[in-house]
Amino acid sequence: MTKEIEKAGITIVQMANLIPIAKTVGANRMVPTISIPYPLGDPNTPKEQQWKLRYHRVGIALEALTTEIQEQTVFKVKV
Amino acid sequence: MKKAILYLNQFFGQVGGEDIADYAPEIREGLVGPALELNKQLAGEAEVTHTIICGDNFMGSNQEEAINTILGFLEGKEFDIFFAGPAFRAGRYGSACGNICKAVKEKFNVPVITSMNDENPGVEMFKKEMYIFEGGASAAAMRKDVKAMAYFGKKILLGEELLSAKEEGYYPRGERHQIWLNPPVAASDRAVDMLINKLTGKNYITELPIPKSDLVPIAPAIKDLRKATIAFATTGGIVPVGNPDRIQSASATKWGKYDISETSDLVQGEYMTIHAGFDPAAANADSDVIVPLDALRAYEKEGKIGKIHQYFYSTVGTGTTQGEAARMGKEIAAELLSAGVDAVIMTST
Amino acid sequence: MKLEFGNFYVKDVQFGSETKYENGTLTINKEEALAVVREDEHITKADLVIAKPGDNTRIVPVKEAIEPRHRVGGGTIFPGVTEELMQAGNGTTHCLKGCSVLVVGQHWGGFQDGLIDMSGEGAKYTYFSQLQNICLVADTDEEFEKREQQKKNHALRWAGMRLAEYLGKAVADLQPEEVERFELDPVTKRAPEVQALPSVVYVMQLQSQMEESGYNDLVYGWDTNHMVPTFMHPNELMDGAIISGSFMPCSSKWSTYDMQNNPTMKRLYQEHGKTINFLGVILSNLNVALEQKQRSAMFVAQIAKSLGADGAIVAEEGYGNPDADFIACIVELEKAGVKTVGLTNECTGRDGGSQPLVALDELANAIVSCGNVSELIELPPMETVIGELQALARDGLSGGWDNDPILGPSVREDGSIIMENNAMFCGDRVLGWSTKTMVEY
Repeated sequence: MTKEIEKAGITIVQMANLIPIAKTVGANRMVPTISIPYPLGDPNTPKEQQWKLRYHRVGIALEALTTEIQEQTVFKVKV
Repeated sequence: MKKAILYLNQFFGQVGGEDIADYAPEIREGLVGPALELNKQLAGEAEVTHTIICGDNFMGSNQEEAINTILGFLEGKEFDIFFAGPAFRAGRYGSACGNICKAVKEKFNVPVITSMNDENPGVEMFKKEMYIFEGGASAAAMRKDVKAMAYFGKKILLGEELLSAKEEGYYPRGERHQIWLNPPVAASDRAVDMLINKLTGKNYITELPIPKSDLVPIAPAIKDLRKATIAFATTGGIVPVGNPDRIQSASATKWGKYDISETSDLVQGEYMTIHAGFDPAAANADSDVIVPLDALRAYEKEGKIGKIHQYFYSTVGTGTTQGEAARMGKEIAAELLSAGVDAVIMTST
Repeated sequence: MKLEFGNFYVKDVQFGSETKYENGTLTINKEEALAVVREDEHITKADLVIAKPGDNTRIVPVKEAIEPRHRVGGGTIFPGVTEELMQAGNGTTHCLKGCSVLVVGQHWGGFQDGLIDMSGEGAKYTYFSQLQNICLVADTDEEFEKREQQKKNHALRWAGMRLAEYLGKAVADLQPEEVERFELDPVTKRAPEVQALPSVVYVMQLQSQMEESGYNDLVYGWDTNHMVPTFMHPNELMDGAIISGSFMPCSSKWSTYDMQNNPTMKRLYQEHGKTINFLGVILSNLNVALEQKQRSAMFVAQIAKSLGADGAIVAEEGYGNPDADFIACIVELEKAGVKTVGLTNECTGRDGGSQPLVALDELANAIVSCGNVSELIELPPMETVIGELQALARDGLSGGWDNDPILGPSVREDGSIIMENNAMFCGDRVLGWSTKTMVEY
């Protein structure tokens, strides 16, 4: 799906937990998330912490969209 | 009696050699060159009614014209199957056979069959789209190659079971299906035998050859985010409660788009996930964990991005076939393009 | 560890006044058996129905299959699950071969449930069509999941295990018709000629994707989601240490019956001392988060390497995101110098054109493939239905649907069906029974 959207010339970043799968299916810009059922906010942590993580990783995704890359790239996250 | 039509180049169509390779397409009633052998091999099931002849260079340099002319010849003709070649190792001829077979299949929806040597570049170009039989290197293999095409053509016309690429002799088309081994050999025996062979340096054949990955060109970076419209798409099955588009929980063939222009947070009771592949509790309690709308709204408010696109796009990733995913991806891409979306954040689960 | 299976070959099953086994016939006192089922007050309705090979019968929604057994000398056949914990894999267990307890929903099915045809074209899709099946058809008061697609099926599955144990008692004091022996010396205490052979481990990746308890495969009652890979003796695993879960499209699932009879383990035992030195089993899992997948793969490779394994067979219970675990595990093993063969099924789509596994790596160069989960299957009506046919269409079985714009509903008015292989009960038999493979067209 990501591939088809990128093929149309639209810049796309894939946020996924399973980076090996995202790579295999051909995503070019990737940002890791924390799990499959809750990619961007662990319900076992306080709401503020979930928000912090989500805000940070969406920020990295925006950074990925503005970064020129030469090959499939996984962008590093801090939170 | 079923009817067949055969495509040949100028050489096998007995018009001439390289000097008249830009010979324009022609259709003749009856049999020319290899058509005689094909007709003989099809005997009983089908007859070859026409032969089409076209110069390799003509097809190469005026492809559209050549194909349109030939499709015009075929318009109104009754035929049940279409053959081209065999093209052996001749590259231009192979490419011509592939191109014309593809066009005929698309327009008339009849089975198409051709034959090429494994070193013919036409094989790589067209093997996924049609039956190309593995043929000899030169015209010395004519009889054998025609026989193989005819034998398979008869099977199609008779509605017989078509076996795997290896068993039938055509190049694999990238479609993998399950079969029962005959005689039956249990997977436990296959695995242990394969391991013993691997450990002792003997040959073994994997049952799942790893395909080469096929990447798309990298889209350019967004120059100025502050002017960009950004859309969300997800395979995590986030939908408004009630699943108005009835997207399937697995093996999805549908996608939905949902208006979020007035929404800044995907709250419980309004949004949920219908994805059957994971524990839905977290996403049902707060769908922002899959479609992080609240976070992106914050960036929008800060002025870091231009705006969030009016809709987000959603389907379910589990068990969804690549073909379906590609189709849905194309449909969504078309929407995004016409809406002037600059960039997409895709979340998957 | 030394385990003996005392086998009794069941050729016929009937109801009668006394539960007993005689000359290949298992007779069941229905009322007594149902009383065991009803020990759990959550069971609201229950019946037993016999389905035999060749019957014109369709069974759906099937939730579990169990081989009836009896542990000689006392103790449960599923330690830590039905009763208190004890070591499995040592001593003697009596087995009723050729038959199984099938747990069938009287009405309600779910994502993880499957279908069995006892004859005709559909029979070849499941192993269980060739067995004498004692179908426990029951309903429960587990209202919280009645309409949920994902079901724990706790009351029904546990009732099935109790029933299997009850039936096993019929052969408690009888002389087995055949004895199978399974014995491995401790890894470092084996004869030099055995040690000289290539050493092999068998890696089982059990289904453990759900974070909430009640859905995953259990090892001695422990949720496999909460374990890290560990070294186990094959005898334990064939003798009730693991039970099937209630999650995963059904054709990919391993029933408890499959685990009790693991054909790959048996073949490795046969080769032990002849062509290989069978070290044992590394039990692993299939959790969802990437870090958990990487951790498990690392643990497996380390254990294999430390044990001195030269080769490994890795079997995956599932498809989709578990393919990432499967490939990661093979890659780690190969990187550690352990030559590895993978056993799995594929999801190439109805058209066969999709990528076979969602993650791939060229180090995975030796794979045995057991089928395509999304192969479309169309089957004629059957005279008798055990359970409820509508469950296939209504309840979100992984290979069924209520209405497809092109194919229509999975269950048609005349009782014929159209479904994906996904809903065939434990159909892909990745533990080793599968005589299916995948070929390219």
